[in-house]
Amino acid sequence: MPHMWWVVAASLVVGLVAAYLIWTAGRVERLHSRADLAARALDAHLLRRAAAAAVLAERRFGVELYAAARMALDAPPEEREAAENDLTRQLRTVQLDPADPDCGAVIAASRRLALSRQVHTDLVRDARSARGRPLVRLLRMGRGREWPRYFDIDDPTLTVPADVPAT
Amino acid sequence: MRIGIVCPYSFDVPGGVQNHVMDLAEALITLGHQVSVLAPADEDSPLPEYVVSAGRAVPLPYNGSVARIAFGPVSTARVRRWITNGDFDVLHVHEPLTLSLSLLAVLSARGPVVATFHTAMTRSRVLAAAQGVLQIVLERITARIAVSALARKVQVEHMDGGAVEIPNGVAVAKFADAEPLPGWPGECTPGTGGTLGFLGRFTEARKGFPVLRDAFVELAATRPDLRLLVAGPGDPDDLYDRFPAALRERVTFLGLVSEPDKARMLRSVHLYVAPNTGGESFGMILTEALAAGTTVVASDLDAFRRVLDGGRAGRLFPTGDAAGLRDALADLLDDPAGRAALSACGDQVVTNFDWPVVARRVLEVYAAAIEATDGRVIDQEWVGLG
Repeated sequence: MPHMWWVVAASLVVGLVAAYLIWTAGRVERLHSRADLAARALDAHLLRRAAAAAVLAERRFGVELYAAARMALDAPPEEREAAENDLTRQLRTVQLDPADPDCGAVIAASRRLALSRQVHTDLVRDARSARGRPLVRLLRMGRGREWPRYFDIDDPTLTVPADVPAT
Repeated sequence: MRIGIVCPYSFDVPGGVQNHVMDLAEALITLGHQVSVLAPADEDSPLPEYVVSAGRAVPLPYNGSVARIAFGPVSTARVRRWITNGDFDVLHVHEPLTLSLSLLAVLSARGPVVATFHTAMTRSRVLAAAQGVLQIVLERITARIAVSALARKVQVEHMDGGAVEIPNGVAVAKFADAEPLPGWPGECTPGTGGTLGFLGRFTEARKGFPVLRDAFVELAATRPDLRLLVAGPGDPDDLYDRFPAALRERVTFLGLVSEPDKARMLRSVHLYVAPNTGGESFGMILTEALAAGTTVVASDLDAFRRVLDGGRAGRLFPTGDAAGLRDALADLLDDPAGRAALSACGDQVVTNFDWPVVARRVLEVYAAAIEATDGRVIDQEWVGLG
């Protein structure tokens, strides 16, 4: 029965292709949700840094830093990157004393923000590269989701930390 | 926090990655975390209690030296059981692109995975054959750490991603408090005396031992009390044959030393010499020598320059230049104040590399990885669907 072999081979191929497609769809989905989570974490760290900077500005350094912190907190999404970069620049112009608790909070928040930004950039890149594969585009996998966006800001690290305070 | 760490190389043989993993695990435990380390090891070898053995490792020539690794179906089953039993908040794998337990762990796990890249090697040859496979591995990693600027550069340029640079740690106290070997380092009489140290495989070209040998032979002719202390794997006869007969009694060979003896050896010399000609991505031994309070003379490699803060914490000489090394040595041996100044700066530099400090930075990366993933580390069929 030579036809039987064709049937077996054909179903094997169909099975493999189906398995690959399901796996790819799952991969695209997984990378997207991870990028979303990273974006949320990044958002939280941006808010934390701006809040810490605002607290510091109320006590020391005054209006300009306070304004930059407020702008970063209130910026609409399309202006947020610029506002965050302004805040980084403002923070770099003042002399932060690591021994002062409020300054320490800003330095720590900036360091955590830098990590979170790094992770976010990597995960967005992974998700975008999976989304951009020809097969994924052809079958419009992940169409229910927006393309993950990079958050393009300068490295917010303030000083090279000599020590990380215990948390 | 429950932390699972995977070490690709066997603890039966000493090595940079193994030491790093052990010191990190101990520092994290001291900070109050629960740590389990998975590593290949022989059945009967004594292991610290936080280490779980994944079975025997087989020696494989790799990246210019011999690595002992475990890979295969049995190892896979053990890795997966360890992940399931561990219920970790974060999984930290080392060198995930070698064919090893680390790779198996990355492929088996879902959740927050942090990877540390030690070598500046671009990638495993096996993986280089399949860019798609490489991508699948890297996708499983949430956050990457590079131990040196060079390792980080490789990440950025060849693996299409960033990495947080966190240097290798050094257990400063272990080195600072070590007792020098009896009779060492002796007096460093200006003009005649001094002791030099070298640690490493003296037969390996990139360790640069011939550069030190040439400098020592020239310098010994004018300094009758100059001595050289060598530690590392190798055959004593092979070492002594490299020196003129008259100088052999001024060379002492310790052979392969344990970690505590390494600390004692570093405290037993006036100048520690690192004549490496390349292939170093970090320069761990330099931080150890600095921790021991010994003055360092090192070749002007990128990695060394970074550790030595551009030459403030140790003397740099042109890489591979025996005459340059000789002059630097002669100069420093006759200048106690200069040595003291370099050491004082070295003490300062080395606090950045102290393990508790480094471990706290690693914990921040764990936190960033956990935030970017939901849930804990779970075992997942890796050839399967989804």
